[in-house]
Amino acid sequence: MAKNVLLVDDSSTMRKIISRSLRQAGLDFGEIFEAGDGQEALDVLEKESVDIVLSDINMPNMNGIEFLREKASRDGIKDIPVFMISTETGDDIIGEAKSLGAVGALKKPFTPDKVNEVLGPLM
Amino acid sequence: MELEKSLVDATLEVFASMIFIDIEPQAASNEPVTEFAPNISSLIGLAGDMKGILAIHCPEKVALEITSSMLGMEVDELGEDTKDAIGEIANMVAGGLKVSLAEEEKNIEIAIPTTVIGKSIRTAGLSGASRVMIPFVSPTGRFGIELRYLLET
Repeated sequence: MAKNVLLVDDSSTMRKIISRSLRQAGLDFGEIFEAGDGQEALDVLEKESVDIVLSDINMPNMNGIEFLREKASRDGIKDIPVFMISTETGDDIIGEAKSLGAVGALKKPFTPDKVNEVLGPLM
Repeated sequence: MELEKSLVDATLEVFASMIFIDIEPQAASNEPVTEFAPNISSLIGLAGDMKGILAIHCPEKVALEITSSMLGMEVDELGEDTKDAIGEIANMVAGGLKVSLAEEEKNIEIAIPTTVIGKSIRTAGLSGASRVMIPFVSPTGRFGIELRYLLET
């Protein structure tokens, strides 16, 4: 069954590019939800049926690391997988994200082929 | 490390993988920002082992060309979409610079970009900072990537 995706990025342009890349990569997905920061993402997760989250790290209000930490504390949503899509590639911050439950990371900028390669197995 | 090469490589990677516009870098120069007649500039703060700002300066035509290509739709006026798109380019170029500096054991932190629309935009600040300005040529004009920095040794 096609998975519902939540895109979390403060850039609306980047959300559109990721959405387009998912289509161009030929991945099978259902509904796409969007959020502009970690707090908005938590609100969406509490209300909608989301199967996987693709999240930026550097965002205002609540960043990707804070989002992971808060999500991990909420029983109803803590097991929804989160994949990081960010300019942040350092072992320290990606390691911290993974320690908080992130299942992988993709560096910006990316190509549709790269999206297919790393997200295909999760879809 | 050659900062100029890092900035050129990072910018070319962003345009090749996510914007799909052919651009050509020109030699780094001391041109003032006003030489690019920018109508939109996005600035991103850098902290850590390199302090300063990274900025992209675009005239209107180039900014609209870039935004239209990024969004896959015609954009014909400067506004929120353009500010967001140009800010994201600054963010990704800064990310590329961060990767290059990490290879030299230097760590930088990248702030959230700030984008302004206007005329006769200039940048100032950071007493004693070094400056690199790299012009690029796109099909509709020239834009500049600027780095003002203080590097910890």
